Amino acid sequence: MSLATTRPLVSVYSEKNEATKGNTIVLPAVFKAPIRPDVVNEIHQLMRRNNRQPYAVSEEAGHQTSAESWGTGRAVARIPRVRGGGTHRSGQGAFGNMCRGGRMFAPTKSWRRWHRKVNVNQRRYALVSAIAASGSPALVQSKGHVIDGVSEFPLVVSDEIEKIQKTKQAVIFLRRLKVWADIQKVYKSQRFRAGRGKMRDRRRIARKGPLVVYNKDEGLRKAFRNIPGIETMHVDKMNLLKLAPGGHVGRFVIWTQSAFERLNDLFGSWKSPSTLKKGYNLPQPKMANTDLGRLLKSEEIRKVLRDPKKKIFRRVRRLNPLSNTRQLIKLNPYAEVLKRHALLATEERKVARIIADAKKKGVELPKSHFAVRASKAQANRSKMLAKVLAERKKKVAPKKK
Amino acid sequence: MRNDLSGRDFEDYIHHPLLMFFNIYSSINFISKLNRVLNFVPGTVEMSAHLNWLIIRDNNCHLLKQRNVKKPFSTEANNLTNLSTFRYSGLVHKKTLAIKAADKKGFTVTLNKGKLQQCPARNKVSVTFKAGPRRSLKKLKHLLVGNKYRNDLKQAALRKASALLRSQRPAKVKPAKKTE
Repeated sequence: MSLATTRPLVSVYSEKNEATKGNTIVLPAVFKAPIRPDVVNEIHQLMRRNNRQPYAVSEEAGHQTSAESWGTGRAVARIPRVRGGGTHRSGQGAFGNMCRGGRMFAPTKSWRRWHRKVNVNQRRYALVSAIAASGSPALVQSKGHVIDGVSEFPLVVSDEIEKIQKTKQAVIFLRRLKVWADIQKVYKSQRFRAGRGKMRDRRRIARKGPLVVYNKDEGLRKAFRNIPGIETMHVDKMNLLKLAPGGHVGRFVIWTQSAFERLNDLFGSWKSPSTLKKGYNLPQPKMANTDLGRLLKSEEIRKVLRDPKKKIFRRVRRLNPLSNTRQLIKLNPYAEVLKRHALLATEERKVARIIADAKKKGVELPKSHFAVRASKAQANRSKMLAKVLAERKKKVAPKKK
Repeated sequence: MRNDLSGRDFEDYIHHPLLMFFNIYSSINFISKLNRVLNFVPGTVEMSAHLNWLIIRDNNCHLLKQRNVKKPFSTEANNLTNLSTFRYSGLVHKKTLAIKAADKKGFTVTLNKGKLQQCPARNKVSVTFKAGPRRSLKKLKHLLVGNKYRNDLKQAALRKASALLRSQRPAKVKPAKKTE
């Protein structure tokens, strides 16, 4: 994907949201790096663990009695019981995790493995993926950022922004850049956390707004820090936790020009390695072209595939020739003749019988009687047949000579 | 956006204006590319829809899943059927459209121009159809099919538009029941 395409240019926007003429930057190669949500997710999970503080229940909790089991034979459970008398506590179960006042099951220890080592290359891969994803409006939108009015992705603004001193100016800047809609969404989302977190010092929650990446802080951080949802980050200290909150790529990022220009030095392009990270270059994408539609239409692939099967084969119903005459005739055309002969023969016999009966009784059958008619028709038919046969013979005979 | 020019050449042209002007006229193709550059149309980081979809599919803020509902739904604006599928996704594709009821009568179609995918602000065109349903639906169909804009969305778009039009009809006044 990367090398064959043109070098797209990214324009730099002033604080009044005007593209400054003649001031464009060639898109850093990071934005064409492969986006691997799986890597980002994994690394995010690992990195997230690194700012945890150890906690544990007290070592002694639940073990501060001299309880012992009463043993069998006293019709009570064999759990250790608090000794002595004179208080309610005596005789109550102790120690077990099922007991009131007992210790918990597998008491937590402060020496749990709280932190995770993350390989540098993997961490960089995740970072690079997250940056590449932040250049795609589709992915940024899928995170829920409101970007309808934003001029361009990736959004690069002039270095004047780094000199903003007052929050008021920062707000005006964001309004002009049409980024404010995203921050309004943050305002709307401010709410109390659901669940026990409220009592654990994580009371309020809100969604995240845009992330401002700068190169030199000349007031920018302080100016932006009181705007809800906005976070700021130095290019040299980019943090995956901010670039892919929740482990999902597509944070809305606003770059200052000098920060943006630094990206090639930081991550390198495939042609030249990074100048700031020792021996580092961007990961190679597995596929040069990810457009499946285009791939399937390409001649190279078309050539290898066979033609589509367009002929429709319909299922044919098999009929029983013994019960279905038409099917029988299809298999054996002479059956038609046989059947007809049989039919005619039965009719003939019937007619003959009726006529013979009538003769016996001396009854004259009326002319309209079906037997009379039929016998006449039979006679006629045999006459015609004889005629046709004779004619056929005549026709065939001369050919022989 | 693909061209035969290797990326490196292009970069050089940008960095050396002189060199650029010597060589431009060697090919018309060049000029058109150059024009694009000079006009600052960010033409961009090509992300294919398929790749985007794979990244977004299982996890995005518009995804709506519920127990006992088999299909995942999606809530983004440009999704015509509100189904979470590759075809109807309003985020992933270059060309997508939203259909909304216009005030009072007809419907408004908001199209994404494919070219300016990287510039959300300049990317949209909206058209309002107000002349009766028969004509507007026909126009809508031609809009999608005629330009080969999105053939595959034709049916969904027509369904949505006609549903909107149906909703705008005055409610039928039922004849009052005879009181006996």
